[in-house]
Amino acid sequence: MSRIKKMLLAILIILIVIQFIQPARNTSGQVLQTDIVKVSNVPQSVQTVLKTACYDCHSNNTRYPWYANVQPMGWLLARHVKEGKTELNFSEFGAYSTRRQANKLRAIENTIKDGTMPLSSYLLLHKDARLTETDKKEIINWALQAKDNLEQNKP
Amino acid sequence: MKTIAIALMMSSVVFTACDNGNNKSDENAETNKRSASETTPSSNPNAEATPIEGIVSGYLSLKNALANDNSKDAANAGNAIVEAMNKIDKSSLTEDRMKLYADVEEDAKEHAEHIGSNAGNIKHQREHFDMLSKDMYDLVKSFGTGQTLYHAFCPMYNDNKGAYWISETKEIKNPYFGKEMPTCGEVKEEIKQ
Repeated sequence: MSRIKKMLLAILIILIVIQFIQPARNTSGQVLQTDIVKVSNVPQSVQTVLKTACYDCHSNNTRYPWYANVQPMGWLLARHVKEGKTELNFSEFGAYSTRRQANKLRAIENTIKDGTMPLSSYLLLHKDARLTETDKKEIINWALQAKDNLEQNKP
Repeated sequence: MKTIAIALMMSSVVFTACDNGNNKSDENAETNKRSASETTPSSNPNAEATPIEGIVSGYLSLKNALANDNSKDAANAGNAIVEAMNKIDKSSLTEDRMKLYADVEEDAKEHAEHIGSNAGNIKHQREHFDMLSKDMYDLVKSFGTGQTLYHAFCPMYNDNKGAYWISETKEIKNPYFGKEMPTCGEVKEEIKQ
């Protein structure tokens, strides 16, 4: 067997072995009382957009694509979800302090406005997460409104 | 068979490449952290000690770094703020201060962390600096700092919504626009100690 063949075989074996190392899934299956839809008045249309385009990385419930079962793609995904949830977790939004909620809403507004979110690398594989101009406008308006409400209700 | 093997190999190469990139930025963050702790300005020995002294001095170096358009120094200062926050002994605070600190802590630390990890992206650092400045104002008002500070306002930042910052000098050196508009803004309040 030539060296190249041996190398390919080794890589193949490694790839087969890593398939057995599956990261834990981020699927709680329930909507917590702290979910943003429970603590803030989110219009139905915005809820739908958030759930399709944002919740996979920013909530406790990820809808996994088929390739999540293929390593190392599954690991990559798990890391993205973990990072996404640290930044902003819609499932636990209600548990944030008022000041943090207001800042998160502002960050939502800004990232949508300048297009840093959803990540372009994510959009490459998730066409349903692409936001139309209307989607964007609705999210921005809602975020502004919700932030104003928070600031008015401040003690 | 061969094509599959090559495809798999490619994907693993891509994966490891990504991973390396991340490790590198982690290392950078580490070195930033280290140098930040070395370069934290020592506080005025005459000033009355206050539990948030380290946080305030980190914030002021951050403000000056941003006014000088120096993203790297800003990142170091951000890390210094995180470090100072980690050192706060919450149990030693009075009840009122403890309550306020608990409200501010998570938020302020997050902003400082983001500023620390975004060397090279000064626009993003300034966004977090805006939000951090609100937290700082509340902290400074409640804790005191042992020095007179100034609450300044720039009406143009954030699409003309405006933003505040805290300065140790009366003179305006705008941290939101840096050298592009160094004197934009005015002092709104003198925070006396």
